[in-house]
Amino acid sequence: MKLNNPIDTVENCRYCLMCRHVAPVGHITKDETLTPHGIALTVASQRRGLIQWNRETVAVIYSEPDGGNCRAHCITDQPLPEAIAAVRAELTAQDLAPAIVYRVHEALEKWHTPFGEERLAPATGRAEVALFVGDEAHYLWPSALEGALKLLEAVGLRPTLIGRGRSSGYLASSLGFPETATRQGQELLAELSASGASRLLVLSPGDYFTFNQLYPERLGIALPPEVALNDVASVLAEALADGRLPLRASEEPTPYAYVDPTHAVRVPQRFDAPRALVGAVMPSAPLELFWRRERAHPVGSTALQFTRPELADALTRARLEDAKNRGAELLICEDPGSLYQLKQHAGALSLRVKGLYELLAEHIAC
Amino acid sequence: MKSSIPSQMLASELEEIVGEAHISTKETDKLVYSTDWFWVPQMFLDRGEAITTPDYIVRPGSAEEISRILKLASAYRVPVVPWGGGSGSQGGALPIYGGILLDTKRLDQIIDIDEVSLTVTAQAGINGAQLEWELNEKGLTLPHYPASANCATLGGYLAPRGSGTLSTKYGKAEDLVLGMEVVLPNGDIIRTPPVPQHAAGPDFYRLFLGSEGTFGVITEATMQLDYLPETRLFRAVLFDDLHNAIEAGRLMMTRRLDPTVIRLYDSKSTASRIKRILGHDLDGAYMVLGFDGDPDIAALQEQKAMEICLELNARDLGREPGEAWWEHRYDFYYPPQNLKLPWMYGTTETVATFDKIEKLYYAEKEAVEQQFKEWKVDFIAHFSHWFHWGSMIYSRFIIEEPPEDPREALELHNRVWQAAMTAVLENGGMVNEHHGVGLKLARYMRRQYGDAWPFLESLKRAIDPSGIMNPGKVGFGVG
Repeated sequence: MKLNNPIDTVENCRYCLMCRHVAPVGHITKDETLTPHGIALTVASQRRGLIQWNRETVAVIYSEPDGGNCRAHCITDQPLPEAIAAVRAELTAQDLAPAIVYRVHEALEKWHTPFGEERLAPATGRAEVALFVGDEAHYLWPSALEGALKLLEAVGLRPTLIGRGRSSGYLASSLGFPETATRQGQELLAELSASGASRLLVLSPGDYFTFNQLYPERLGIALPPEVALNDVASVLAEALADGRLPLRASEEPTPYAYVDPTHAVRVPQRFDAPRALVGAVMPSAPLELFWRRERAHPVGSTALQFTRPELADALTRARLEDAKNRGAELLICEDPGSLYQLKQHAGALSLRVKGLYELLAEHIAC
Repeated sequence: MKSSIPSQMLASELEEIVGEAHISTKETDKLVYSTDWFWVPQMFLDRGEAITTPDYIVRPGSAEEISRILKLASAYRVPVVPWGGGSGSQGGALPIYGGILLDTKRLDQIIDIDEVSLTVTAQAGINGAQLEWELNEKGLTLPHYPASANCATLGGYLAPRGSGTLSTKYGKAEDLVLGMEVVLPNGDIIRTPPVPQHAAGPDFYRLFLGSEGTFGVITEATMQLDYLPETRLFRAVLFDDLHNAIEAGRLMMTRRLDPTVIRLYDSKSTASRIKRILGHDLDGAYMVLGFDGDPDIAALQEQKAMEICLELNARDLGREPGEAWWEHRYDFYYPPQNLKLPWMYGTTETVATFDKIEKLYYAEKEAVEQQFKEWKVDFIAHFSHWFHWGSMIYSRFIIEEPPEDPREALELHNRVWQAAMTAVLENGGMVNEHHGVGLKLARYMRRQYGDAWPFLESLKRAIDPSGIMNPGKVGFGVG
C-alpha cells in the first residue's frame, strides 16, 4: 500500500538517534548532519523556515544512500528513506536538485538506464518463470546473468528474461522522480504480464526490495498477487539443500569474504542463502566482514554514485578495507551493481572480486 | 564574530590542524550541531525559532590535533564544546556561546583488547554499539548498556558518569574505567595511571569523570570487560504497594544477591509504559529482576530473590514478562513510542540512601503533581539503578499541552524543574544520578555542594584558567 505523506516521518526521526550505529554515511564521514537524524532535522527545519533549500542544504538531502539501514533497524519501522525520496521529488519538481540528477533522469527517460545508450525492446517470450535482468546486470556485470542462467538451468528452470538493460524504477524513485519510476515499473509489470510467468526471479536483494516493497510503498503499484517473487540465491540455496544442485568443491586457496550487497539489510530472510552457496564450493570457511548481515552497509551502488560520488566511493572503499582487515584477498558477491563498484577500487587494495553466480556456475558438477 | 579578521584567522588555523575535510561552517552543520537531546533547544527549533549555533565544527583525528585546537582556542579565547554522540539530555553539548564544536567521532579506533586481563583500550569517539559488536566477536562485553548505546560514544559514557541497564551488578561507566588519556585545556596530553586501585596519591582521574568537558577532552579510555554471560535470567513480579517493593530491592542489595537488574515501576508507569510497550495490563508496582553468569549461581540468586519478593507479598508473573522487558527495553526510546514534542517532558532522576528513598519519591511526586495540576502534569517513575546503600529514581514529568510560546514554555519547564529539584534537595537526594549536569542542572550545583562548591570552582580555574572548556556547563560560569 502506498505510504501517505511519507515526509511527515521526519517529525519522528529528527531527534531520534537510535539508528546512528548502522548509519553508513554517518559512519564514514563522522558528520552528524549526514545521519538519518541530521537529514530529518534538516528537512524538518526547512519546513519551519529555519533554513532554505540551496546548493548546500540540497546536497545534504542527496547524501543519503537509500540503502535501508535506518529503517531495517527501526523498531517502529519509520520509513525515512521513503520520506527522503519524497523530499527529493519536491526538489526535482522545483528545479532545486543538483544538475547531475537531471542528467541521470534524462538518461533514464531516453535509455531506461544511465549505464548504456541503447533502448532494448521488451521481451516477447513466454514462460512459467521470468527473470528480471535490469540495467546493472546487463551493462555493468553481464557474467552474473550468464552464471545465474546456467545455475537455474541446472535446477530445471529456464526463465524468460524481462527488463534487459532497463532500470527497475528504483533509481528514478531514489533520485526524486516518482512519475518516471512508476512508468518504468508499470512497463516492467506489463512485460511480466505478457510473459505469462507466475514466478518472478531477481538477481539481487535490491531488485527484491524494489518489486516487493518500493513499488507498493513509494509508487502505488504492485506485482500481481498470483506472481511469486523469489531471489535467485535463495532458489539455488534451496536446491542445494535438497540435493538438486550438485556442486563440486573449488581448489581456490585464497582467503575470501562474502560481501552482503547493497540493500541486503532490506531482505533479512536471505542472509544465509548466499553463504550456504559459497560454502558449498569454497574449500575454507569465509572470513565474515564486520559490517555484515543485518548491519551490512551499502557498497556504494545506489543513487549516491551519481549524486555524491565521493561518498559512494568512500562506502565502497570501506567495504574493501573491512575485508582487507579481516585478511581476505578475494571478495564474493552476487549483486551486479555491488560487484561493479567493488571492482572499481579493489585493485588499489590488492583484492580480487568474483561474482557468486559465476563462481557457482564454474563448479556445477556434471 | 562573523566576517571578523580573528574569525577568519581562526578558521584558517583550524583548517591547518584538521584539514579542509574536517572543518565545517556550513549552515546545515551549524543547525544540526546546535542541539543535543535537551528538551529546551529541541522545543525552540520545533517552534521555528533559531538558537545559538557553533561557529566552527571540527572533527580532529588524534589527541595531538585536539591539543593544538585547545591551544589555539586558548590563544583566541574561544569556547570549545566537546561532542560525542549528542545524546545527552542535559544540554551538556550545546554550544551556548558559539565557538568551536569539537566532534570526537573520528577518534574511533580500538587500540587493544587484552583477553587476559579483560580490558579494552579504545579511542573516546568510538560508537558504543560498534565497540560492543567488536567485543562480542571475542566473547566479551563491556557491561555498560545505556539506552543511548546506539548513538553514544565511549567518551560520552564517561564524561557525564553514565549508567547502563545492568549497572546494579556491573557498576556505572565510571566504575568500569581503569584509565584515560585526556587533553587538558592548555593542550597538555596526560595519561592517568594504568590501574585505578592504588595508593600513589589521590585519584585525580576521577576529576574528569563528570566534568562533561569542562576540565578537558577525554580522548582514550581503558575499560574493564566481562565474558558474555553463560546465562541471563529475567523474571517479573508485581507488588501491591511500592513500599514493599522498595524493601524487597533493599534486601536483595544488602544481602548481596548481585542482581543485574532490579527495575521497579511505580503504579502509574506500570499502568502506562508497561501496558503500552509490553502489553501487560497490571495494577501495582511492576518489578523486573535479572541475574546472569554461571547458570547454577544465577538460578540460586534468583531463587533467593524470589523468596524475598514472595515474603513481601509479591505476585510471581513468571519469566516471560521479564524476558519481554529485556527484549524490548529500548523500545521506549523509538518514536512514536517515546516522549515527543510538542509535549513538555523531563527526566528528574535522583539518587539517595535507602532510608530516604521512599520519602524522596513521594515528596518529588507531590511537588510536581500538586504545583502543576492545572497543566495536567503526569509524573511517572521507576527505580532502575540500585546500590548496596540505596537506589536511584528515574522520574519523568510530562505535560501534553504546554504553552505554545517558546519563552512561556521554557519558563514553565524551569518551574517544574525547580519544584522537583527543591523537593529532591530538601529530602536528601542528589540532583542527578547518571544524566550529567550540563546546562539544565547547572543552577543547582551551588546548592547541591554548599561549602564545597567554591573548592570545585577553584579547581576549574586552576585547570582551565581561560575558561574555554564548555563554558556554562556543570555550573561553572553560571550562578
